[in-house]
Amino acid sequence: MANEELFSEIKSALVEFDVDLLKGKAQEALDQGVEAEEIISVLSEGMDVVGEKYQAGEYFVTSLIIAGETMKEALEVLEPHLSGRGGVKRGKIVMATVAGDIHDIGKNIFTTLMGTAGFEVIDLGVDVSAEAIVAAVKEHSPDILGLSALLTTNLEQFPLIVEMLEKEGLRSRVKIVVGGATVTDEFAEGAGVDALAKSAVEGVNICKAWV
Amino acid sequence: MYEELMAVYEKKKGSPLVFQPRLRHWYDVNFNAGTLPERYHGMYLDEVYGDLGVPPREVWGPRRIGSELSGYFALNAVDGDDVEVWTRRLSGYMGESEDDYVITEYRTPVGTLRQVQRYTEHGTSLMNVEYYLKDLDDLKVFEYILEKRSYGWDQSRYKWGKVRYGDAIPLRANLERSPVMWLIVGIMGFKKTVTMIWRHPEEMKEFMGVLEAEHVKQIEAYRGKPVAELNFGDNMHHDLCPPPYFKEYVIPFYQRVMPLVHAQGMVASSHFDGYLKQLLPLVGETGLDGLECVTPLPQGDVTIEEMKEGMGDMFLRDGIPAVHMCPWTPVETLESHVRELMEAFYPRLILGISDLLPANGDVERIRLVKELVDEFNAEL
Repeated sequence: MANEELFSEIKSALVEFDVDLLKGKAQEALDQGVEAEEIISVLSEGMDVVGEKYQAGEYFVTSLIIAGETMKEALEVLEPHLSGRGGVKRGKIVMATVAGDIHDIGKNIFTTLMGTAGFEVIDLGVDVSAEAIVAAVKEHSPDILGLSALLTTNLEQFPLIVEMLEKEGLRSRVKIVVGGATVTDEFAEGAGVDALAKSAVEGVNICKAWV
Repeated sequence: MYEELMAVYEKKKGSPLVFQPRLRHWYDVNFNAGTLPERYHGMYLDEVYGDLGVPPREVWGPRRIGSELSGYFALNAVDGDDVEVWTRRLSGYMGESEDDYVITEYRTPVGTLRQVQRYTEHGTSLMNVEYYLKDLDDLKVFEYILEKRSYGWDQSRYKWGKVRYGDAIPLRANLERSPVMWLIVGIMGFKKTVTMIWRHPEEMKEFMGVLEAEHVKQIEAYRGKPVAELNFGDNMHHDLCPPPYFKEYVIPFYQRVMPLVHAQGMVASSHFDGYLKQLLPLVGETGLDGLECVTPLPQGDVTIEEMKEGMGDMFLRDGIPAVHMCPWTPVETLESHVRELMEAFYPRLILGISDLLPANGDVERIRLVKELVDEFNAEL
């Protein structure tokens, strides 16, 4: 029962972005013999509350960034106490802005949110060739491939990458989500990808539903 | 065309609608790649505008890659005597490489700031990969730089444009982004700005005041000059600048500076080119005269109705989503969108593309839109 109260305070501190209180409560839980992995689970529940507040329009993308920073500070307290058993990720995503495109604000927001949602993120960066993306899928065997492009001139990379993955026999092993302001539903459908995310948060929700 | 554009600023009714799209990106990329349509080989950009029958928009003066005030007409910024500005390209000035970066350092008696930029996809612009401001100490250095910086009217550039274009179009000139967007897009980056505002709210608010003082200097430098419209290049997007930021930092800023703009007999607009559904209901409180870009669906997140409802009597510059100019969008979609837009916003509309013709856009669609505008004007 005492733990329940402490866990509730930990969640509230995260949701309210109160770093000092959160770190103090995380330490208090450790001192009481709670395993670090269990505290991380509580933090994940707190992140879910943050996500719900975002969906309700109470929080914004900036709030999600701050929640991620708050969580990171709490993890610094917990990490020395991790047994190594608790590091299981929700899933793995390889992420890239496609060749010819170096716009990365949207991609970076998305990768930040994916990290806080518990995914292992392998960010290949910007202006990444189709060959390098396919090689990364082969090497890392991700659950999801995320592709970003802003410029209309680079959208053709999406169907090209899909085709290359098919040729390599990798397409059926990975879900593909694409994003970028100029990507329309029609274009995404024609490109042969699994989903179009019109925002970083929508992308995270799509990925969470998959994995 | 001068009178027609001024009519929008002056809220006059009955004047013909103007279609003034941005073509420079399309032109530069295709010129550099050797893919300009044959018809336009050997033409300067303003001659392309002329051939298409639309007034020029973004052709005055030399390109100024890397300038904080690049594009359109801009002021000359002069730094203090004890502020050294060092710029170098990673590949050297004689070299070209795909991974070319431009490193700029400001060396001052109170510290050094460093920015790294990368050429954009087609080499026609630059974007930041490392921002000047990384911590609180850097704010003091930037403040020192700005305190010493002065602005002057670029008479030679203005004269060159005046000779070439005469009075074809009223002059619009750029200002820096509003302080919070200047930080997010220009000098600190999104994630860093968000975390710094969260961790150091007082210091960041004070620093935004320093940036605002710079706007006052810039507006003052335009006093008495032949400028009709000033444009804040905000690149506004509700994910980058959500309503709480907009209410705390953006609206009060505009409420303070817009009277200065109006006192000089000028109007002002801001470049809103992201998702805007959460901000349009608030934009009327800024006192801005107009908005540029405001990308509608399917590229942005707002309908034409929502745009009109949020903007009220503000003028709209642009309004056609760029993807409608691409070959894969049916022409009928473009036509119906343009008709709806004209009906909704005229006479508070300078029609254009939100925010420019893409490099792989179909330039012949410019001619098509021009025909729709001519039809609309014929019925006025």
